[in-house]
Amino acid sequence: MGSTTLRLYLTCIRNTLDAAMCLQNFPCQEVERHNKPEVELKTSPELLLNPVLICRNEAEKCLIETSINSLRISLKVKQADELENILTKKFLRFLSMRAEAFQVLRRKPVQGYDISFLITNYHCEEMQKQKLIDFIVQFMEDIEKEISELKMSVNTRGRLVATEFLKQFI
Amino acid sequence: MDPAASRPAVVIDNGSGYTKMGFAGNVEPCFIVPSVVAINESFLNQSRSSSKGNWIAQHNAGVMADLDFFIGDDALSKSRSSSTYNLTYPIKHGQVENWDAMERFWQQCIFNYLRCDPEDHYFLLTESPLTAPESREYTGEIMFETFNVPGLYIAVNSVLALAAGYTTSKCEMTGVVVDIGDGATHVVPVADGYVIGSSIKSVPIAGKDVTLFVQQLMRERGENIPPEDSFEVARKVKEMHCYTCSDIVKEYNKHDKEPAKYIKQWRGVKPKTGAPYSCDIGYERFLGPEVFFNPEIYSSDFTTPLPVVIDKCIQSAPIDTRRSLYKNIVLSGGSTMFKDFHRRLQRDIKKIVDARVLAAEARLNGEIKSHPVEVNVLSHPIQRFAVWFGGSVLASTPEFFTACHTKAEYEEYGASICRTNPVFKGMY
Amino acid sequence: MLLLEYHNLLLRSILSERFLSSSPVSIDQVISDFDGVTYHISTPEVRTKILVSVSVKCFRDLLQHGAQAVLQREYGAYITETESGYDFSLLIDLENLPVEQEGRDDLIRRVSLLKRNTMAAPFEKAIDEHHRLAEQGVNAETAPQGEGTEVMVIRYREEEAMYIQASHDRVTVIFSTVFREETDRIFGKVFLSEFVDARRRAIQNAPQVLYRNDPPLEIRGLPGLRDDGTGDVGYITFVLFPRHLTAQRREETISHIQTFRDYFHYHIKAAKAYMHSRMRRRVADFLKVLNRAKPDVDEEKKERKTASGRNFRVQG
Repeated sequence: MGSTTLRLYLTCIRNTLDAAMCLQNFPCQEVERHNKPEVELKTSPELLLNPVLICRNEAEKCLIETSINSLRISLKVKQADELENILTKKFLRFLSMRAEAFQVLRRKPVQGYDISFLITNYHCEEMQKQKLIDFIVQFMEDIEKEISELKMSVNTRGRLVATEFLKQFI
Repeated sequence: MDPAASRPAVVIDNGSGYTKMGFAGNVEPCFIVPSVVAINESFLNQSRSSSKGNWIAQHNAGVMADLDFFIGDDALSKSRSSSTYNLTYPIKHGQVENWDAMERFWQQCIFNYLRCDPEDHYFLLTESPLTAPESREYTGEIMFETFNVPGLYIAVNSVLALAAGYTTSKCEMTGVVVDIGDGATHVVPVADGYVIGSSIKSVPIAGKDVTLFVQQLMRERGENIPPEDSFEVARKVKEMHCYTCSDIVKEYNKHDKEPAKYIKQWRGVKPKTGAPYSCDIGYERFLGPEVFFNPEIYSSDFTTPLPVVIDKCIQSAPIDTRRSLYKNIVLSGGSTMFKDFHRRLQRDIKKIVDARVLAAEARLNGEIKSHPVEVNVLSHPIQRFAVWFGGSVLASTPEFFTACHTKAEYEEYGASICRTNPVFKGMY
Repeated sequence: MLLLEYHNLLLRSILSERFLSSSPVSIDQVISDFDGVTYHISTPEVRTKILVSVSVKCFRDLLQHGAQAVLQREYGAYITETESGYDFSLLIDLENLPVEQEGRDDLIRRVSLLKRNTMAAPFEKAIDEHHRLAEQGVNAETAPQGEGTEVMVIRYREEEAMYIQASHDRVTVIFSTVFREETDRIFGKVFLSEFVDARRRAIQNAPQVLYRNDPPLEIRGLPGLRDDGTGDVGYITFVLFPRHLTAQRREETISHIQTFRDYFHYHIKAAKAYMHSRMRRRVADFLKVLNRAKPDVDEEKKERKTASGRNFRVQG
């Protein structure tokens, strides 16, 4: 069941992004010769679209906020227990340390979410839109897989370590 | 007071060839081991492609294999005796290339060699002056997040070589460090403890090239060495028999006149058959180190002799530091250990400097006499681990603990704090 | 490299080297070992006499439980006047070594186990006590119930201690351990639950392991216990049964249980290193996917290399 809901969830996000990612160059209205992502500024309501919130369940959701020249995607990842929580935290922190290389990664997540991406019209000009969406979707898919694999590896290691230590007593 | 500050700090100098590690306050490092990791990689690459049922078993094996690795001399001997281990050199040309291997290497250094809980000790690590700031962040990330070290200082190895201060009782923090390691050669001018970054010169010839050159010479002469052993033999020959001569032509003559005195013998055992063999060691004894002074005999890409590089380096430094830089040229790294290396270097630099002074005086028709420039190249038996020793000296001063980045700071500001490591008072 | 060694590698390598070489050199090294143990190896008078001193944080606690006797037994003639600032010293005269190789190897082994032997006293005492009680129990036909001997407290680190108690059918060893970091605490919890389960799952003969965040019954009420309810402190109880305490097993058991705390923390760190390496691989994967989105860079503009390794750029 888990995998079908995941597929639906991801398809929904993919379609929304496909529709939302039509960005154009738009100079800042307040300051001359500036060009800022409007979705971050939120000063001119006429440039913003309604944000879309896609939820798989209470713990997992995805917020897509759009404006004329930029788009923000924020994710909340499932954290069932303490261990998943800390692993997610560590992993996302590790990622944001390397935000430079990722270009579209926002250094700080939007409040209430675990990780955010900020895509501007420049990114869209440099990169192919479909591939960019592929990346976001792949990212969401992999992050879940990675966290559960990490969790398992901690458990496996714990078992190995405990067994090895206790074996020595016999 | 922080209890960790009352214990000796751990000093680890990771070089491309060897890692020197030990506790601050000692004169010599506890261990000098090759910077190499033998990793059991048989499971790592398959885990993704395989089918689901098998996956759990593979996962377990992967975790198991993660703990199955060795470093240093153990790694070398393991990889020789078994084919499951792959050798990885985490540091190449003075830069960390493989962080996974590096992290494991440190893990072993700390827990199995130095035997200490990293939470109990401050750490001093070294880096090359050309290391990117990101790399310092990664180091910090590993040290603080994996090992929970209470404090970390990342020092530039050339500065430490100066701080070793073995020339005078007083530490002189201005000078040129000529650091010839296994994988990289740098000429680094330092003024008052600060590296003059724009004047750093690198030479693409280092200890390994000397080894390769010796190997090539012996091969060309047709010495009877099993091919799989030839690199190791060349390395040993380099370490045990090479020396610096004052003039190649004269040295050739000397060898030809008295071969009995100059030509050495190498005895070894063939690794496969166990049969003993022996071979001669001839001109490579002085030709090996000669690659620094006449690089054209080894490579056609780079032909500037080391003394010229050093001179250029000092000439590009701020004018008010140049005299003191000439006065204090410090050698560091294993490949400066050749006999009389410092004498030859000093003579050659002096020649260049004197020629320049003469030319300048001639231009002025002898109206103004300039002060002679003092050129000193300093050598010392501990220069093989001068960097480590400098670190050990610095890390035992009380100022060290205040100069360190602490774990609290790391958590507050993030890994970017590791980018800068202030020069501190203990350095003077 | 799963288990930690019992001996100190440096002590062993220095001694082995010294014993073999014919030319003595002067030594002066201060080195640390786990649990705040410090050694000083030096040649204060002549180069042929190596002085090995050790300082142990909890030496006072250990002395109360018969450390002196154990050390006397292990090192006998090598014991010398204690160097100031240290707790115990040995003097090894290179000119007066055991003649046969075996004796030398044994000496090296003994000296490199200095920390282990110093810490062994309370364990030995507890095991002896256990045997005494067990014998009494058999003789009197009425096994003394529950109550063991007085708990021995070894404060071997600033915030952490070992508690050892003997009774007629078991020796209980309790470690208190502090987690200074969130990740360590959570990983530690997972690991410990595996320790607790291991006996049920795989090795029935292993010592029983219990884990809790508040002081266990045996040591409740002892002075100096930390229990602030934050969960930073963990109490791990090892119950050693008679089969672990037999004459053949006891040496190994004592050595092994001493390494528990460091073994445990070592593997938490190793797990974090593994986590990092997985994350690095994953980041590289992600970047590959992202780079697919970029249209190919013009091939003509790429840097090329000459045969000798220099770079050059093709001019358009």
